[in-house]
Amino acid sequence: MNGGHPAGPLARFLAWGTVFYLLLPITIVIPVSLTDQRYLSLPQEGLSLQHYARLLGSEAWLSAIGQSLWIALGATAVSVVAGTLCAIGCWRIGRRSSELVRVLMLLPLIIPSIVYAIGLYRWFGWLDLLDRLLGVTLAHGVTGIPYVVITVSTALAAFDPRLEQAARGMGASLGQTLRWVILPRIMPGILSGAIFAFIHSWDELVMVLFIASRQVVTLPRKIWDGINENLDPTMAAVAVLLILFTVLLLALDGAVRSRAGR
Amino acid sequence: MPRDAAALPAAPVAGHGLALPREAGWWLLLVPAFLLMTVLYLAPILQVLAISVTEPAPGLGNYERLLTHPGLQRVIVTTLRICLVTTILSLLLGYALSYVIALASPRAQRWWLLGVLLPLWISVLVRAFAWVTLLRRQGLVNEGLLGLGLIDRPLPLVWNEFGIVVGMVHYMVPYAVLPMLAAMREIDPRLLAAARGLGASRGTAFRRVFLPLSAPGLVAAGVLVFIVTLGFYITPAILGGGKTLMAAEWIKLQILDLVRWGMGAMLATMLVVTILTLLGIFSRILDLRRVFGGGR
Amino acid sequence: MSAATREAPLAPRAGKGTGHALELRALSKRYGAFTAVDAVSLRVERGQFLTLLGPSGSGKTTILMAIAGFVAPSEGAVLLDGRDITALPPERRAFGMVFQGYALFPHMTVAENVAFPLRVRRLSRAEREAKVRAALDLVQLDRFADRRPAQLSGGQQQRVALARALVFDPDLLLLDEPLSALDKKLRAELQEELKALHRRVGRTFVNVTHDQEEALSLSDQVAILNHGRLVQMGAPAALYERPRTRFVADFLGTSNFLRGTVQEAGDPGLALQAGGTRLLQAGADLPPGSPVLLSLRPEKIALLGEAERAANEVAGTIAAWAYLGAGYSLTVRTADLGALRVALPAWRAPIAPSEGLPVRLGWAADAAVPVLEDADAA
Repeated sequence: MNGGHPAGPLARFLAWGTVFYLLLPITIVIPVSLTDQRYLSLPQEGLSLQHYARLLGSEAWLSAIGQSLWIALGATAVSVVAGTLCAIGCWRIGRRSSELVRVLMLLPLIIPSIVYAIGLYRWFGWLDLLDRLLGVTLAHGVTGIPYVVITVSTALAAFDPRLEQAARGMGASLGQTLRWVILPRIMPGILSGAIFAFIHSWDELVMVLFIASRQVVTLPRKIWDGINENLDPTMAAVAVLLILFTVLLLALDGAVRSRAGR
Repeated sequence: MPRDAAALPAAPVAGHGLALPREAGWWLLLVPAFLLMTVLYLAPILQVLAISVTEPAPGLGNYERLLTHPGLQRVIVTTLRICLVTTILSLLLGYALSYVIALASPRAQRWWLLGVLLPLWISVLVRAFAWVTLLRRQGLVNEGLLGLGLIDRPLPLVWNEFGIVVGMVHYMVPYAVLPMLAAMREIDPRLLAAARGLGASRGTAFRRVFLPLSAPGLVAAGVLVFIVTLGFYITPAILGGGKTLMAAEWIKLQILDLVRWGMGAMLATMLVVTILTLLGIFSRILDLRRVFGGGR
Repeated sequence: MSAATREAPLAPRAGKGTGHALELRALSKRYGAFTAVDAVSLRVERGQFLTLLGPSGSGKTTILMAIAGFVAPSEGAVLLDGRDITALPPERRAFGMVFQGYALFPHMTVAENVAFPLRVRRLSRAEREAKVRAALDLVQLDRFADRRPAQLSGGQQQRVALARALVFDPDLLLLDEPLSALDKKLRAELQEELKALHRRVGRTFVNVTHDQEEALSLSDQVAILNHGRLVQMGAPAALYERPRTRFVADFLGTSNFLRGTVQEAGDPGLALQAGGTRLLQAGADLPPGSPVLLSLRPEKIALLGEAERAANEVAGTIAAWAYLGAGYSLTVRTADLGALRVALPAWRAPIAPSEGLPVRLGWAADAAVPVLEDADAA
C-alpha cells in the first residue's frame, strides 16, 4: 500500500520511538550477558563468555532445559493432533454447531491463565497429576490447541473445496482424502501451528507455578526462581539463548510460509 | 479391500445407510480436541466457578466481600487503574505505529512488522527480566542518567506502578497493533491523497478521513488489550516487587499462601465474567480469530 | 458390465453405444424457498454427448452435481442403466469429472494427479504406470508427466483434468464448464479435441456450459435450462431451427421476434396481420384471431434488389451497421415491424451499408418459426 501519502513527522517520531521501546529490552540483554563483571552490567573491560560457560556447566539449568524440551515436544504433539483434526472437522461440517466447537477451542486464549492454573491445581490433585511431567504436558497441550486451530483454519480457508470433491468423485475414502489431498495441502499451516504451540509451552510459567514444584522444574520456572533469588549475568545468558531460540523458530515459521506461498 | 467401481451396490437402500457414516466421519475428527478441552480445560474452570459459591460455605458470601473488604477493593481499583492506563498508552503508541506501517511501502512494511512481531513472541519472563536490568536502582538507565549528570540520585523506576506499566505496555503494544493494522490496511490510501488534493491539510485529512475509517480497529484493539491486561500475573509480580498487588497475584496469594480458596475463586470468577461480558458486548467488531490469526 | 472390462487398460471402445445410459426422473432441488432445479426429467443414451445449456442460475450445475452425487436431490431420482443410484455417495459412483477450474491437486505432478483414482483403487504400481501413460498419450501430454499443474498452460491443465477423469474407465464423464477458463482460440481448438476424444473413448459425456456455440458444436443432444426447468431438449440443429419458445430462440443465436394475429388459415400457410403489414407464414395451423409470435433469424432475411420478390417484404432504412469480418450486422428500422436485425455475408453484400440508406427486406414463408412465450410454455 503506497498511495503517495507518507505519514507525518509526529507519527513517524512516535513509531520509531515505539519500535525502539519494543526492541530495547530484547537487545540490551545481549551485551549484559557478555559482561566481564560478576553482577548485572554492561561489559567494562572486555567481552566474556564466562556466564554462558557457567550456564552450560550447570546441572540444574541443563536439566530444566531438558524438561522444558520434553514437555514442549509432548504438548506440541497433543495440540497438533487434536487441533488439526478439529479444524478440519469444523471446516468440513461448516455449520453453527461446529462454530460453537471452534469458539470453545479458542477459550484458552481468552480466559486468563491464572484462572485455569488455580482450577488445574485442584483438578490435577484429584487426578494425581500434580508435579508430574505428564500433567504439565497435558495442560500445555490443551492450551496450545487454539494456536493450531487458528493456523490450520487459516490454511483451510485458502484450500479449494473442489479438490476434496474431486478426490471423492474419483472414489477416495475419507481417510484417503485426508492423507493424500487435505493434509499435504495444509501442512504449512500445521507446521506454523506446531511452532506456536511449541513456543507457548516452552514459555509457559503461570500453570507451572501451580501444578509443579520439586520434580518438575521447567526453564521458565528456573528463571523465575533466579529473578526472585539472585539477579546475576547468568540470567542474561539464559535470556539471550531463549531469544535466539525464539527467533530461530520464527524464522523457521517464516521459511515454511514463504515456501507455501510460492 | 480393493475398491472396484464394478462393485457398486445394486440396492439403493444400502446407499441410504452410507450417507450418514460419511458425515459422522467428519464429526469424529472433533472428538479428541473436544474431549481434551472439556475434561482438562472446561472442567477445572467450571470447578473454580463452583468453588467460589461453595467454599468455605455455600452461598454468595465470597461475593459479599467485594462490598466489605477494603483490601480487596483496593486491589480491584489498582487493577482497573493500571489496566486502563496500559490500554490507553498501548493504543496511543500502537496507533502511531500502525499508521506509519499502513502507509509505508510493502518492503518497509515487512521490516516494521518484524519489529512489532518479534517482541510478541519473546517470553514474557525474559522481557520482565530485561526491564529489571534496565530500570532497577543500579540499572542501566539510572547508571546512564547519573553518568551524564542529568540526575543526582537514582530514580525509582521499578518495583512500583511505573515499572508495571512500562512492562505491560511493552507486552501489549503488538496486540494493539495487529487489529488496528488490519483495519487500516482496508483503508484505500488514495482516499488520503484525494483529501489532500481537495485542499485538506495533513491534519484535516487524518482527522476527517483516516481516523473515522480506522475507528473500528481502534475499539477492537482497546477491548482486546484491556481484556488481556486484566489477567496479567508475571509482569506485575516481577516489576511490582510485591508492593503493588494486581488481581492475578492477589488470587495466587489467597490460594497458595492463605489457602482461602473461596476468595481466590471468587475473584477469578469475576475476572472471567468481566472478560466474557466485554467480549459479548464487543463481539461484533472483535473477530478474535482474525486478531490472533492475522498477523502471526 | 463385467469386471473384466473394468480391468482392461484404457483403450478406445469400439463404436458408439458402449457407455452407460443416464436418466433423471423428475429431479428437483430446493434450498429453502428457492427452487434451483424444478422437476427435470431427461435421458441420455449410451455413448451420447449431452450438454446442459443455460444462463447462470438456470440450475445446470446443480443438476450435474446431483448426477455426481455431491448434491442430494430434494425429489426425484438419478438412474444409471435403469438402476437407482440417487442415494449413492459420490465416491461409490466414481464417475469421471472435470471440474470448473479443473481442481488439479497442486502438490502432485501431472502423473500423480492422473494416477490418483488408480491409487485410490489400490492398483499395482505397474498397472498404474501403464494406465497413466495410456491416458496421457490420449491427451498428448506424455512429455509433461513430471511437471506440476502450476507449470502448465490452461489448455494443458484442462487436458490433465480430462486424462485424470478418464483414466479409471468411468461409467460416465461429467464436465463442468470445462472450457470456460480458456481464451477464445484455444477454446475452439479444445472443442474439436474434446469431440474427437468422445468419439475415441465412446463413453457417455455430460457437459455443462453457458456457451451456446460450445453446446452446438460438441453435443449430440442439448438440454436447454432456464430457472431450473428443462425448456427444450434435442439435437443442436433441431433446437436452432425449431425453437419451441422465445427463450430458446433468443438464447441460441440471435433472433427477431414478430408479433401478429392470424387472419386466414389457408393452403400455403397462415396469413398474419403484424404491425401494419401482412405476412405469410408456412407450416403452422392456427384458427383465425389467434395471436402468434414468430422467431426470425437475422441470416434468413435478405436485402432485396429492385426486381427481386419474396413471400414477405418490408421496407425500411438502415439505423446502424457493423462490419464483422465475415459479414455485416445491420439494424433496419421499418415502419411496420419496428427494428429488425439482419445478417449479411460480406462477400456478397449487394450494397455498401450506410446509415439512413433505404432498403427492402424480404424472407421466405418458411424462414420464420412460430414460438411460444415462455410464460405459456410452462
